[in-house]
Amino acid sequence: MRAFILPTGNEILEGIVLDLDAPELMRQIVAAWPDAEVTRVCPIVDEEDSIFRKICDAAETDPDLIVLIGGSGGGHRFSSTLGKDYTHTALVRYLDEYSAREIYGKNGHMWSKLVCGRKGNTLVINVPGPFEEAKAAMQACLKGMLSGAGVEDISKAMAQAVFEKYPTGAASLA
Amino acid sequence: MAEEYIIAYADKSVLKISGLSVKGMSTTQVEKVLQDKLQTIVRVIGVTGESIEMDVYNADPEKIRRNADGVIDALALAEGITVSDLTKVSCSDKIVPVEWKDIPDKPVSDCLRERWIKRG
Repeated sequence: MRAFILPTGNEILEGIVLDLDAPELMRQIVAAWPDAEVTRVCPIVDEEDSIFRKICDAAETDPDLIVLIGGSGGGHRFSSTLGKDYTHTALVRYLDEYSAREIYGKNGHMWSKLVCGRKGNTLVINVPGPFEEAKAAMQACLKGMLSGAGVEDISKAMAQAVFEKYPTGAASLA
Repeated sequence: MAEEYIIAYADKSVLKISGLSVKGMSTTQVEKVLQDKLQTIVRVIGVTGESIEMDVYNADPEKIRRNADGVIDALALAEGITVSDLTKVSCSDKIVPVEWKDIPDKPVSDCLRERWIKRG
């Protein structure tokens, strides 16, 4: 198992916020595959082109897994003071085929878009930035990978795991 | 492959604390401190060097506004955060379900599908 973890966000890059997600994701991968080689790249600024290029760079070495962290919501499109969320748009641009789930609040704003796809031998996913949601999404993804699940099932399981982190999320997704 | 759209019917407000100095903040610690204070689920959704924005679920916004000093005192205990006399708390009203008549029939931003759009 070789994996790349790509944190995104100016606040992570500048050290304003500690990157707690990447170590947690790395811990989970190593727990699942003790012989794993996991690379955490330098955090990426919130620009679609920068994120896209980093995905391409990581994919060049044909890893088993690429995980992007953060930037999965509507962000700046609803609040000018929030960060710019471009991770999902960069992923959609990169992947030829993918499965995606978008979770909206009842006010019509997108809270999170999770994208899961495969290109060559590499599974490419994103997880939300909030720690509990990132942790849950990753657990669901790894469980799916270990059981041999396909992209569609992994995508669905990740969305279910994130949905359950909202107070309303006790009910299962259809 | 599938593209699914899911609606989360959760009550939330956005709590913003500005006039801070933030460096090396732990989001999990801040969430825990404020969850203990407000007795509800809190998620950090945006941070700059001067402010923190959070989703607060199932809370009374007016109660939070009245307890602003207590919120700031609690936050001051978290690592990586320095409060000052300029620190202030603002809390939006709870989100409300969008009405059909208010749903736009074309994208309102440069990114499609990040807000409901009428179809057909």
